[in-house]
Amino acid sequence: MGAVHAKSLDPLPMHGRDLGVSPDDLVETPELEQEAKQEILENKDVVVQHVNIQGLGRTKEDLLGYEISEVFNARNLIDVMKKAHVARQRLLRLGIFKEVEVLIDTSEGADALPNGLDVIFEVTEIKRLTGSYNTMVGNNEGSMVLGLKLPNMFGRAEKLTFQFSYGTKETSYGLSFFKPQPGHFERNFTLNMYKVTGQFPWSSLKETDRGVSAELNFPLGVTSHTLKWEGVWRELGCLARSASFAVREESGHSLKSALSHTVSIDSRNSAIFPSRGALLRINQELAGYTGGDASFLKEDFELQLNRRLFWDSVLSASLWGGMLYPIGGQPTCIADKFYLGGPTSVRGFGMYSIGPQSEGDYLGGEAYWAGGLHLYTPLPFRPGKGGFGDLFRTHFFLNAGNLCNLNYGEGPQAHLQKLAECIRWSYGAGIVLRLGNIARLELNYCVPMGVQSGDRICDGVQFGAGIRFL
Amino acid sequence: MSLAAEAFVSQIAAAEPWPENATLYQPLKEDQILLSDCASSLAVQAYLRMCGLPVQVVGRANAEYMSPSGKIPFIHVGKQVVSELGPIVQFTKAKGHSLSDGLDDVQRAEMKAYMELVNNMLLTAELYIQWCDNATAAEISRPRYSSPYSRPLSYILAYQKQWEVRRKMNAIGWGGKTLEQVYEDVSQCCQALSQRLGTQPYFFNKQPTELDALVFGHLFTILTTPLTNTELAERIKSYSNLLSFCRRIEQTYFEDKSS
Repeated sequence: MGAVHAKSLDPLPMHGRDLGVSPDDLVETPELEQEAKQEILENKDVVVQHVNIQGLGRTKEDLLGYEISEVFNARNLIDVMKKAHVARQRLLRLGIFKEVEVLIDTSEGADALPNGLDVIFEVTEIKRLTGSYNTMVGNNEGSMVLGLKLPNMFGRAEKLTFQFSYGTKETSYGLSFFKPQPGHFERNFTLNMYKVTGQFPWSSLKETDRGVSAELNFPLGVTSHTLKWEGVWRELGCLARSASFAVREESGHSLKSALSHTVSIDSRNSAIFPSRGALLRINQELAGYTGGDASFLKEDFELQLNRRLFWDSVLSASLWGGMLYPIGGQPTCIADKFYLGGPTSVRGFGMYSIGPQSEGDYLGGEAYWAGGLHLYTPLPFRPGKGGFGDLFRTHFFLNAGNLCNLNYGEGPQAHLQKLAECIRWSYGAGIVLRLGNIARLELNYCVPMGVQSGDRICDGVQFGAGIRFL
Repeated sequence: MSLAAEAFVSQIAAAEPWPENATLYQPLKEDQILLSDCASSLAVQAYLRMCGLPVQVVGRANAEYMSPSGKIPFIHVGKQVVSELGPIVQFTKAKGHSLSDGLDDVQRAEMKAYMELVNNMLLTAELYIQWCDNATAAEISRPRYSSPYSRPLSYILAYQKQWEVRRKMNAIGWGGKTLEQVYEDVSQCCQALSQRLGTQPYFFNKQPTELDALVFGHLFTILTTPLTNTELAERIKSYSNLLSFCRRIEQTYFEDKSS
């Protein structure tokens, strides 16, 4: 928060020279006029005559016009301060300024009205190029990550980011260009180019993706939408010589070109420990229509409802579901299928270790659902209340779900029946730790139930970390 | 394959008999497979037929990537996956099927030497003609190699393969050779084989060995595969005992089974 300076709201009586000492005060006015103006501003309407932005280097002024124009509509001093504060937040949100300070002053000069005000934003731009590098060690692999960022590339809050990771086993990179619409920061456009490598030991599978994508984000009423096209060259391979033949058969190259649309409504008050509100996210992906080898339609949804109960405890219910429909008689690729199980979804089961498998390698399914019921409470006896202790919650949970392949000749009735039989479920309790506002860690005691042959279970204590939780 | 892995494979393999559902994987026969892969695959098929081991041949567009060594062909026997002729010979030997057991040490060394000659000369020449001769690469190799993929992936994979092979050719000193020199190498190799064969039915007289399978695989494929010009096949046709050798193996091991 930057300081908002407004002379007239200063609780101390002002006596001319005292004011002049303040470094923020750029204007010196005669003593008498000061006192007179103070009264006027407190009681009467004001007019914002000038809004200045100082400290601009490469940022284009027309972009900022949209962000600060509301200030001109302010009609009294409180309003000016509020609107200036909002404008300041909007400027910071652009991610192109290190600091924004607001200065409200009486108008000066020949055309100055008696009740005229000038609002001055003093901004400090972020450097043209910022960089970072760090090293990571883990999983028998060491890597060096180099990041470069050009915030405000062309002066209108465009952002170019580049990340390069050089490892002993794999290299990966990502280049992304972000361009918001001036005045509507939520409406933005992103171009990406990347190469990523993933290893999935539960399937003995290794995947290297090289791709380009274009993404358009925009809000519509209370919903927010994302439209995306993605072209990916996927290379699958076996993680080890001992991989099952079913996974070996999936090895090789494929090209996926997919259009996808995501709509979400989020009224929760926090992403990690919400105490009220709901989230609904629906994602649909159509591959093959724009070319490529893979063709399918994929539907996926996520619903979460939260309700506050007695003593700060929260009841949270969530439901996930998804279906993959192959188009053109082509079998679906192992990389497009759904996976279920693990400390972030159906607890008590091994990571993605539910459903169809071959020789211990999990092959994923074409349809799934999962539901969870949680009771979150603060830690018993509330140690560290109001501080460190608020990062923790205890929770009691009941999870259930199922994952299977579909035979599309059988019709929807058979599918529902298939998803309703052999349901895996689990219950237990544990401690949750919030990491920032994006991730959380869980330590749970789980009791898996409804285990089917082939499922890998984790009976007892299970530790999990992730960003998406059932 | 490393020695330890080889030992492990043979140990496991020895325990189980040859199953009925053994499968050999190669690229798609009609649209995709290239001369060199076809030759290697035919050599393995001939070897297995000589051993009397039944195998079903299956074409897969991603056979190259399914193979544990990245080479064509590979066989899937029980739970084992073994690729290329050398390891497959080891594998069948562990199961008690061998063609070279009757040879003494000197003959076995000679057989290995000739097999190396075939791999170093014929296989390399096939790869050279496929990927380093611009006409063949443009008209046959690249379109066929990339036929299962859609654009632009097909271009990327075909050029990537071509680049990889050319780099290998440069590394073994074949990069600077002309097509004529390669044909000459093939002729010399054939001459050596022809002289060794003489008037015998097989390289080691009455019984075929893995060397016979390998030579048959390459020569028969070269003779029967249309290329941009027939020069390569012509060079082989001048050795009449090699031609009758190919015909003999074809008649003994391939025609009987199919009729």
